[in-house]
Amino acid sequence: MPQAADMINLGFLSDSEQDLILEVLQRDKDLRQAEEQRVRKLKTELLEVKRKGAKRGSGRYSQRSCGRCLEPLSRLTLFSSQCKLCNHLVCQKCRTVFPNGSWLCSVCSKESELKKMTGDWFFDQRVNRFSTMPGHDLVRSSLKKRPPLNKRVTMGEVLLKSTEISPDTTTPVPRPRQKNLPANKGHLDENSGSIASRESFESKEDVSAKPTHSDTESAEKASLGSSKTETESRHVTPELTRHEMHSVQHSPTESSVSSVTVPVKVDAVNNHTSNSVANTAPEVKQGIVSPELDVDKLFKKSVKRVPKPAEYVSTLDLRDEPDIKVVSMGNRSRSVPGLDVQEDEEEEEDIDSLVSFHRRTMASSFSSLNGSKSTLGSMMSIYSEAGDYDSAEVSGDITFSVSYNEHTQSLQVFIKECHGLAYGDASRQICNPYVKCYLLPDKSRQSKRKTSIKRNIINPTYQETLKYSISRTQLCTRSLLISVWHHGRLSRNTFLGEVEISLDCRNLDSPEEERLALMGKAASAVPVSAFAQYKGELVISLKYITPKKPTTEKTKGKKVATEAEGELHVLIKEAKNLTAMKAGGTSDSFVKGYLFPTKAKTTKRKTPVMKKKLNPQYNHTFVYKELTLEQLRGMCLELTAWDREAMGSNEFLGGVRLSSGKGTVKIGKEEMEMDSVGEEVSLWQKMMQYPDSWAEGSLPLRSTMGKEKGK
Amino acid sequence: MTDGDYDYLIKLLALGDSGVGKTTFLYRYTDNKFNPKFITTVGIDFREKRVMYTAANPNGTTAGKTFKVHLQLWDTAGQERFRSLTTAFFRDAMGFLLMFDLTSQQSFLNVRNWMSQLQANAYCENPDIVLVGNKADLADQREVQEKQAKELADKYGIPYFETSAATGAEVDKAVITLLDLVMKRMEQCVDKPPAEPANGNGATKLDAAPPNEKKCAC
Repeated sequence: MPQAADMINLGFLSDSEQDLILEVLQRDKDLRQAEEQRVRKLKTELLEVKRKGAKRGSGRYSQRSCGRCLEPLSRLTLFSSQCKLCNHLVCQKCRTVFPNGSWLCSVCSKESELKKMTGDWFFDQRVNRFSTMPGHDLVRSSLKKRPPLNKRVTMGEVLLKSTEISPDTTTPVPRPRQKNLPANKGHLDENSGSIASRESFESKEDVSAKPTHSDTESAEKASLGSSKTETESRHVTPELTRHEMHSVQHSPTESSVSSVTVPVKVDAVNNHTSNSVANTAPEVKQGIVSPELDVDKLFKKSVKRVPKPAEYVSTLDLRDEPDIKVVSMGNRSRSVPGLDVQEDEEEEEDIDSLVSFHRRTMASSFSSLNGSKSTLGSMMSIYSEAGDYDSAEVSGDITFSVSYNEHTQSLQVFIKECHGLAYGDASRQICNPYVKCYLLPDKSRQSKRKTSIKRNIINPTYQETLKYSISRTQLCTRSLLISVWHHGRLSRNTFLGEVEISLDCRNLDSPEEERLALMGKAASAVPVSAFAQYKGELVISLKYITPKKPTTEKTKGKKVATEAEGELHVLIKEAKNLTAMKAGGTSDSFVKGYLFPTKAKTTKRKTPVMKKKLNPQYNHTFVYKELTLEQLRGMCLELTAWDREAMGSNEFLGGVRLSSGKGTVKIGKEEMEMDSVGEEVSLWQKMMQYPDSWAEGSLPLRSTMGKEKGK
Repeated sequence: MTDGDYDYLIKLLALGDSGVGKTTFLYRYTDNKFNPKFITTVGIDFREKRVMYTAANPNGTTAGKTFKVHLQLWDTAGQERFRSLTTAFFRDAMGFLLMFDLTSQQSFLNVRNWMSQLQANAYCENPDIVLVGNKADLADQREVQEKQAKELADKYGIPYFETSAATGAEVDKAVITLLDLVMKRMEQCVDKPPAEPANGNGATKLDAAPPNEKKCAC
């Protein structure tokens, strides 16, 4: 089926035509910006409503109180006062009654209203159809993807992004397009790259950039790298403060957290330009994005094409375009947090799970080098061949105190100050540090607390108290992980160091100030196995359906002789004992599936979301068509469970990987080890061994989908 | 025009053969003017219009709330050479004005092709579409009979209008009908969470022109 975005080849357009189209796209951008602003406002309103009242996991509530305003409910209302969507008992005042007489609680009705008003209903529908975002492949081909909100991306945006000639550095919303620089920190300097330096680096650019432009695989890689950057940066850009707001919502009592929601302004003042080569290099690469090159990218380039002039001008009708056999690594890596930080088009994975993966991977792969000195920044580079990254030495110390307040039943972490931090952005000598805290072993966002971000300083003073409502007896099994991060405004955040304090033998009654040197990532904190932590189980049933008759009739386009092809049915029955992510000790979960290597580009499947359940019954079947048993032998089915967060980032709950357990799956250039074990293997084999009958099993969920070892 | 002072942004898209009058149709709708000159659209363009939309209550008796709707009306080039560009924009639209020229049998015959283009490229397999036969004012040159067009529209299960950008006849009605369909679809999507078909998403095959469309499960 035609995926138009893959095939846009507009080399036939004249310059004036291109100008006309750009004009249209520019107008579209204006409209889009107004829309984005409106949507942002709406979403803030929802958070406001949510914050005002709802039972939360932290507190105890009477069964007979309203789930929203917490007023006691009268006996009479108890019978018919459950909101259909969230199952909370809700009083009359907190309901929105619809014309047809039905009602929902104030939060749920606001949520569904918002879905309409923001257009999310549409984008959600579309996501179901195209597993790739609009223009996904197109953009990947031009290596300049920067979607602000992935599922909302429109073709106009995509095209414009790839053609913008003079990026608007004053507006933070439409980000200047990015080149294929995984460790690109120089966004704001785009226009400052002088012609002279541009030229002087021309040759360098040739060497480094050419392969990426001409070679599909490296292009894929590079784009993966750059999109990674974007994922990270997303969390620090103003329009995505919703992630931050999210944490507010979950910890409304933290006054300190709310300060993070203040949108960050782009202050180019911070850009200290230095003359070192290392410093100017990224800028130069940015600067080299000349208009001509851009237009080339947009209108003449296609993913799999080696850029020969002759091919540029060929006009291809999309229907004649043969299938592009690029197995998308982007797609693959998007599915699981363990594998990398690729964003998901409609689910923005929590950055924390990504970060924590990085720590693990780093610790395991770098432990021999005592890699604790490297930073997250360098971690990212593993995924990019460019090797263009910065690493900040961990340095300095942090002064803090920890105490327990019996009166409020809360643990209070007072973050006083830091000294001598490394520069998060070493090349520009910039550091915008903030302190983040987890009460381990809980590494979910519910346990995350953050201080404000201090600007451009390596000796920041915070004087902020981070609070955890927790009973004292529970503390002895906990430890406190205090980490310092550089907030990269448009780039990723950089790890600056951490300290871990176990709370079991600590005097919490008299807060004593403590000054500890910051450390690198602790290798010991690495979980031994993805299965070490119990994350619940997934009950599934697999069936391979053999073809009834060889498929004779085929669509005209494909002349390929097709042998008998069957279908793989994956019945997602239920999950058991999922981790609770939401207030009230529940999760709104769904299961996502990918089949690798992707034959078609669309192997992504999703179940509906089961609200408020830790033992959800999905009873949903994923069907993968046109598969032979032979193909399945070399394939890998990945199923991951997620906690759906309507306005924020979904949280990873666990996953399974089904395969023969031997060999590797090639995804793009990357090889993924089919590291299935135990039941994951046996179930997969059972399915192949007994076609046309269901093979059912209950599989333990992995806590991470990351590879345990390198290839 | 592009301030955020509206409740819904609805994106519609006009498609159809070159010269059927998509641009003039939209121009008539947004500006209530007619430009008889034929200027071929380069690739894509759009026009905007703010309308008030009043949702009818389910019981149909009283009018519901009134909303401000900002319409973004995408205009696409009918010419074949822009095809790859224009079809790429299909997926961003929530509803479609599929247009043909009542004075051109060929443009009517091509409706079928446009239909399959839509099915392949729109946000879902059966998006909201309104079939529009334009140039109804040129009665003496008419090549497509109303009955014929109506039959086709019925086959697809979509509304049909005979419009004239020159006189403005039925232009508003066609757009508002489409808007209404989209708004209803939106309600369905949000209020009744999808009971997704068992065959999952994405694996579905597209037939060249399925005889009868049903509303999707959303």
